[in-house]
Amino acid sequence: MSKPVLIIGGGPAGLAAAHSLATVGKESVIVEKEDRLGGAPILSGYAKLVPTGEWAKDAIGGMVKRVEAESSVKVVTGTKVTDFDGSPGNFTAKLSNGDAVDAEAVIVCSGFTHFDSVNKPEWGFGTYEDVVTTTQVEQMISSGQGVRCPSDDRKPQRVAILLCVGSRDRQIGREWCSKICCTVSSNIAMEIREELPDCHVYIYYMDIRTFGLYETKYYWKSQEEFKVKYIKARIAEVTSDGEKLIVKGEDTLVKRPITIPFDMVVHAIGMDPNVDNPEISETLGIDLETHGFIDVANRYGAMGATSRPGVYVAGSATGPETIDDSIAQGHAAAMAVLSGARDLKTA
Amino acid sequence: MPIHEKSLIRPENLTTHEELTLDGVDVSGHWSTFIETRVVNDYNENLQEEIAALPGGEEIHRCWQCGSCTNACTVNAINEDFNPRYWIYLIRMGMESELLRDKDIIWQCVSCNKCTYACPRDVFPEGVMKATAHWLERKGHTEKSPSTHFDEVFTEQIVKTGKIEESRTMRRFFSRTGQALAQPWMIEMVKRMLRGLPIGLLTRMGLATLVAPKTNDWSKASAAIQEYIDEQHEKQAQALSLAELVETAKQDVAA
Ligand SMILES: Cc1cc2nc3c(=O)[nH]c(=O)nc-3n(C[C@H](O)[C@H](O)[C@H](O)COP(=O)(O)OP(=O)(O)OC[C@H]3O[C@@H](n4cnc5c(N)ncnc54)[C@H](O)[C@@H]3O)c2cc1C
Ligand code: SF4
Ligand code: SF4
Ligand code: SF4
Repeated sequence: MSKPVLIIGGGPAGLAAAHSLATVGKESVIVEKEDRLGGAPILSGYAKLVPTGEWAKDAIGGMVKRVEAESSVKVVTGTKVTDFDGSPGNFTAKLSNGDAVDAEAVIVCSGFTHFDSVNKPEWGFGTYEDVVTTTQVEQMISSGQGVRCPSDDRKPQRVAILLCVGSRDRQIGREWCSKICCTVSSNIAMEIREELPDCHVYIYYMDIRTFGLYETKYYWKSQEEFKVKYIKARIAEVTSDGEKLIVKGEDTLVKRPITIPFDMVVHAIGMDPNVDNPEISETLGIDLETHGFIDVANRYGAMGATSRPGVYVAGSATGPETIDDSIAQGHAAAMAVLSGARDLKTA
Repeated sequence: MPIHEKSLIRPENLTTHEELTLDGVDVSGHWSTFIETRVVNDYNENLQEEIAALPGGEEIHRCWQCGSCTNACTVNAINEDFNPRYWIYLIRMGMESELLRDKDIIWQCVSCNKCTYACPRDVFPEGVMKATAHWLERKGHTEKSPSTHFDEVFTEQIVKTGKIEESRTMRRFFSRTGQALAQPWMIEMVKRMLRGLPIGLLTRMGLATLVAPKTNDWSKASAAIQEYIDEQHEKQAQALSLAELVETAKQDVAA
């Protein structure tokens, strides 16, 4: 029997890759650094997902259960790869738990890291309790607690969502668009309006990128049915008058300064390259692209090829991706591994 | 008056008629205020290129109109009409006549660079403000600002002597801006310097005022720098079509 495929990271992409391989009877080993599988949607406790509206714990939780039930998938949690050597068909990876894994190929599914809002101090995160991130609001909703101001647990009457926090900003060296946060924000805005119909929700944007079919289902719907207000302005600063948060900026469409009190300010945080990427790149001997994500060497011939033959990559490790695209890439990388193996045999 | 955002409409474009009947309908008075259509037909499609040709204006094409510069701006906090984001928009769209409406406040930028540190696209708005102010001067829309006079006096002296001698710079600056040298604060400052500074230093300063010291062997460097400056000025003049401007002006006078 040939060697298993090593999958690094057990988020949506890694789970999809493992499932595909299991389908054709190919063994795999998932090495996940956290104590459980599921990736960002599970680890960060997301609520209802875009675009299906299914709860993350059901949708992604279901993927986890499916993989855990496969006898051909071995799961190692709380572990990282520390050393890596060999050639296609014949790799050896040493793990931080002391074990070693012989592998035929590798699929890197190590995902992204949430932007840390502390790096944009002018927007008040870390200074004011009621300045939160989209991840925190997701958790408020998914835990069943509901959207409340952290400082005193009150129901907010006015919420401001600031887009592109940690994205599209040369000042902090992040030029990319995180792709999903516009849609996630309009989704969250609708969820807030649903739970608290008296609460006014404002979204401050530079561009709205609810790409593709999300235009109708999120941007238009949130405006037309949920009366979410969109204002074209990049906020200058978030301060406080002791009672309310004060948001300052310029409404650029009407050329007017704005100073508006809010109960809660939400940062639509972006997707950073995984903080582990320099280490992963060094250990596996694969290149990163200019922003620090893992470089995809071949876009058309073999899905998810990296700069090193036999090592593949899928999901948000390659750049900001949605869950469904990450899953598709996971499946595609599994397929690429299989065709790579066939090429090796015939060579 | 039920016009949304009335303040955005220029007063001269708002008209009401005491007595007016149109097609038999009485439209007199306040409730039927008219807004005259505003047609912009004098676009200068080169405006962005012209600003970009002046030092500081090079990155203006990057702007995506987020407003962070205006939000951060020191002068905007005092005067809402001082709006770098808006001017960048006008320049990029080539709306020269609109820009000229604000010609008397654009130069007021204090170069604090708060905008520079806020701009997510590294447009360098402070530089754009400087370039725009220079553009206004070179096109003859505004007089040279005091800071331009100061920069010129300062630069001329360095190019000529390779050194800076403050009292000379101050004297020239005052004379070019038409200010008396014997400003009360100036007299006070000199008095205190006389009291406080060591004799040796005072003597050197006094001497420098008289003999205008020069860096040794400066003339070659001076010529090279001057040549470079002239070259740049010529390039900028071309980008701004200044020669054509002078030509049209001559013809206008002749006609
Ligand atoms: C606030 C927010 C809301 C979102 N909501 C949605 C949504 O509703 N719909 C949608 O389509 N997308 C959404 N996304 C995007 C979604 O999170 C990603 O598309 C998805 O998580 C990508 O899956 P992944 O498997 O590539 O990476 P991840 O989910 O990041 O999983 C990577 C896994 O690898 C592990 N790992 C990392 N480094 C190592 C290492 N060195 N060794 C071993 N293991 C490692 C991690 O612990 C993690 O388990 C949202 C994103 C944000 C920020
Ligand atoms: S998806 Fe929207 S909020 Fe996110 S970075 Fe792109 S434009 Fe900004
Ligand atoms: S440098 Fe000028 S434009 Fe920029 S913030 Fe300061 S005053 Fe405003
Ligand atoms: S901050 Fe930069 S990008 Fe934004 S409006 Fe000002 S110059 Fe343009």
